[in-house]
Amino acid sequence: MAKILLVEDNEMNRDMLSRRLIRKGYEVAMAVDGREGVDMARSGDYDIVLMDMSLPEIDGWEATRRLKQAAETKALPIIALTAHAMAGDRDKALEAGCDDYDTKPIDLQRLLGKIEALLGQST
Amino acid sequence: MTERASPRLTSERLIPGRGGLARRQAALLRLSTAIAAAHDEAAIYRSVVTGLHDEALGYNFIGVFVVDEATGDRVLKASVGWPDVPVDWRVPFGKGLSARVLEDGKLHYTADVTRASEYLPSLNSGSEVDVPLRVDDATIGVLVVESSEPNAFGTEDFEILTAAANQGSIAIGRIRLLTAERRRADEHKALLDTMQDLVGELELSRVLQAVLERAVSLLGVTGGEVAIYDEDRRELVVVASENIGKNSTGTRLALGEGAMGAVAETLEPLIIPSYHEWLGQSGKYADVTVHAVMAAPLLIGRRLVGAIATVHSDPNRVFGPEDLRLVNLFAPQAAIAIENARLFTSERQRAEEQRALLATMTDLSSELELPKALQAVLERAVTLLGVTGGEVAIFDDATQELEVVASEHIGKDSTGTRLKMGEGAMGVVAQTLEPLIIPSYHEWLGQSEKYADLLVHSVMAAPLLIGGRLVGAIATVHSDPDRIFGSEDLRLLNLFAPQAAIAIENARLYTAARQQREYFETLVENSPVAIVTLDREERIVSCNPAFERLFGYTKQEAVNSNLDALITTEATRSEAKEYTREALDHPVHGIGRRSRKDGSLVDVEVLGVPVIVDGKRVGLMGLYYDITELLRARQAAEDANSAKSQFLASMSHELRTPLNAIIGYSEMVQEEVEDLGHDQLSDDLQKIHTAGKHLLSLINNVLDLSKIEAGKMDVYAEPFEIGVMLDEVTATARPLIDTNHNDLVVRAPSDLGSMHTDLTKVRQILLNLLSNASKFTERGTITLEVSRKAPLTEDGPQLVSFEVSDTGIGMSPEQMDHLFEAFSQAEASTTSKYGGTGLGLAITKKFCQMMGGDIQVESASGRGSTFTIRLPAEVAPAPAGSISD
Repeated sequence: MAKILLVEDNEMNRDMLSRRLIRKGYEVAMAVDGREGVDMARSGDYDIVLMDMSLPEIDGWEATRRLKQAAETKALPIIALTAHAMAGDRDKALEAGCDDYDTKPIDLQRLLGKIEALLGQST
Repeated sequence: MTERASPRLTSERLIPGRGGLARRQAALLRLSTAIAAAHDEAAIYRSVVTGLHDEALGYNFIGVFVVDEATGDRVLKASVGWPDVPVDWRVPFGKGLSARVLEDGKLHYTADVTRASEYLPSLNSGSEVDVPLRVDDATIGVLVVESSEPNAFGTEDFEILTAAANQGSIAIGRIRLLTAERRRADEHKALLDTMQDLVGELELSRVLQAVLERAVSLLGVTGGEVAIYDEDRRELVVVASENIGKNSTGTRLALGEGAMGAVAETLEPLIIPSYHEWLGQSGKYADVTVHAVMAAPLLIGRRLVGAIATVHSDPNRVFGPEDLRLVNLFAPQAAIAIENARLFTSERQRAEEQRALLATMTDLSSELELPKALQAVLERAVTLLGVTGGEVAIFDDATQELEVVASEHIGKDSTGTRLKMGEGAMGVVAQTLEPLIIPSYHEWLGQSEKYADLLVHSVMAAPLLIGGRLVGAIATVHSDPDRIFGSEDLRLLNLFAPQAAIAIENARLYTAARQQREYFETLVENSPVAIVTLDREERIVSCNPAFERLFGYTKQEAVNSNLDALITTEATRSEAKEYTREALDHPVHGIGRRSRKDGSLVDVEVLGVPVIVDGKRVGLMGLYYDITELLRARQAAEDANSAKSQFLASMSHELRTPLNAIIGYSEMVQEEVEDLGHDQLSDDLQKIHTAGKHLLSLINNVLDLSKIEAGKMDVYAEPFEIGVMLDEVTATARPLIDTNHNDLVVRAPSDLGSMHTDLTKVRQILLNLLSNASKFTERGTITLEVSRKAPLTEDGPQLVSFEVSDTGIGMSPEQMDHLFEAFSQAEASTTSKYGGTGLGLAITKKFCQMMGGDIQVESASGRGSTFTIRLPAEVAPAPAGSISD
């Protein structure tokens, strides 16, 4: 089963989303800020990253940029998650290198669709 | 004349007791002589009746009637044999046998008056001859001759009476002409009184005297005269006189009168061997011992300028061809002297007239002078017309009344009297715009009570007109009952009317100009806008109180200063100078910042306009309006709006984070309890989840709307297949449609192709419309019909139309009015029954507009609704954040 890295600073959101994904059968690892997210992504063996954008230490855009610049994590799919439902945010996320984008609150079915689509491409 | 006075007497005599032919001819000669000797009209009338009442002619009942021009009555002027009929007895117009003469100007004979119905008896029976008196082709009267016998007159009588009437007529004509000439002379004098043109004439008479003296000595004559021709009066005036027995200078001779008068008429020289036997002699020379006369006209080309005459008092001397040759040597000298003098005088006169006219214009340009000017005009008119007095009134356009402003000898000072249109003589002429003569004012029906106390007998009034427009009226009056007005008086009055009219018009124009100036001055003085005028050198000419208030300078301080130096700072000077330079040429408008006297700055709206007088730019006018408050208010409004948008954006964001948890946990727990089989808990969790979703959509809508209003909502264009998008949307909407047991019908052709626009917004729009349709329809049908449409304009974009119709409750026209406004569901009650934020359609409409499309609705209460959206298949690239409305 696919391994998901969830980078999310809000504890409730992290807890809720991770549990729901686990219930759907995914393996979920969690990071609480951007720096930890980047470190974990480099060292671990993940199939996809769900990246919140408003993060402490380094934010989601910067973290994405770093991952996409590094050769070993360049191919790792990243879905940006943000509460900023602004058109500009989507562009900003895609510019930073995100492969897709979804808004919070999470519509689980929609998010699962996006995850499967990216996993399907990468395999 | 002699021939006319001696008719050939051919027919047999019918009246008994007449003398023989010789006696009748003698009688006619006496009649002619008497008429010729008469000096006024009354004497002529008397001469006619007395001359005809001659034994040799045998006429016993004779009357002369003259037509009164004003009434048309015939007025008896002289009679014989009518003891009961007084002089001035009137026969009304159209009455009596003699009326026929006035109609056709011909002699009429009534052989038996008792058979004529028009007969006004002075005798009971008999016959009557009526003969016209004609002057200048007009019948001015009738000679009436009666007999107590019927059939008393024959052809011979008609000839005699016609000859007498003709002689009388000619004499009357001459007298009238003379009277008119005299009056015209008086008038001329009155008009030219102020002009000193006599100097030249004095000089001229000296030259002519010298010419005459040389002519007299050369010709060896006793003496002589030179006269100059006065073209206006058609008379000769003797200006040089030498040894003719009296000083004749100043003597005036009519054309044809005396020797000089005769040559002035014929323009040929004339030798009179024996003056006192000559029929053409003038009475003015009756007392002079003159034997022979030689006269010659003085001509410039063929134009008469005067006459010269030389006389012999010695009866043994006569004039011959040699004398004529000699006088012809002197005539051109005299003529040239006269012509030179005339040219000189007329030149000077013209200059004098021009100066007088200018002086008058200056006087009249003052309103205060108007009554004075009109009084002067009136006084001159009164003098010239020889009337008792008169009045001038001004027409007041506003009240439609006449106001008397000049009054002269009418028995009281009538100035200030106001007359309505049609009231009194002046009121009538003001209405008819025609002059009017009233022979007897106190019998006149139109008289005004305001003049009831005056001793006015007859009145003549005329309107004062400027180009057909009424400006006033003038009236002159006779208090003497014997005086009446005639056409000659009217002619004279018409000389003065234009002067008075022009005086009034000038005063009116002056007043209008002054009022307009005062009006504008008041406007500028009280304007809340600061107004300043500059000359071409950009110096301040004047400024208004608002300018003083706005910039803190007094008018004294401002005037003559350079405007830009006064109210600009270093920072704004170049911009202000640019305005000033442009405003000299064309109006400029803008917003800028200027400095006050105390150094503080003020934001102003500036309008600069060139001041153009008579097509020349003489400077410019600057208008400054203080917009400090306006700018402050706008800034405050912008700040408040921005704060609101910011607040809404951050609030909705802050609300969504906890809401995420509520929705997510409830959904998750629901799944878990379902797995555990706790169905009752699952229902409750579903309610929490649904309430959370609703709250979220509210927050999202508020956020969308605030972003749209803040201009922060962008169009994110991407290509997508319409069919795929429709499948997604209908799938998402399906649970909503099923809730109220509705059917969804989708009509979309398979070849719709793709669009390039904001997919998310199209989706949101369609979901919103389908959601609305589902909410307001129960157990009905919801139809989504999609089609491609041709562009609205030739170069417009291809359109895709989305039509969402339902069979639901529909809307009334009143409900539809506010449908697309934020927070307006059709009724407050619907919110509680159907849910929703009241923002959906407002956002939908904004989204449509942002993508270059529009939305329309058709509906009726109880008959469903149809929303139609048209969007360009390809959204036009728009700059980000440009959408706002």
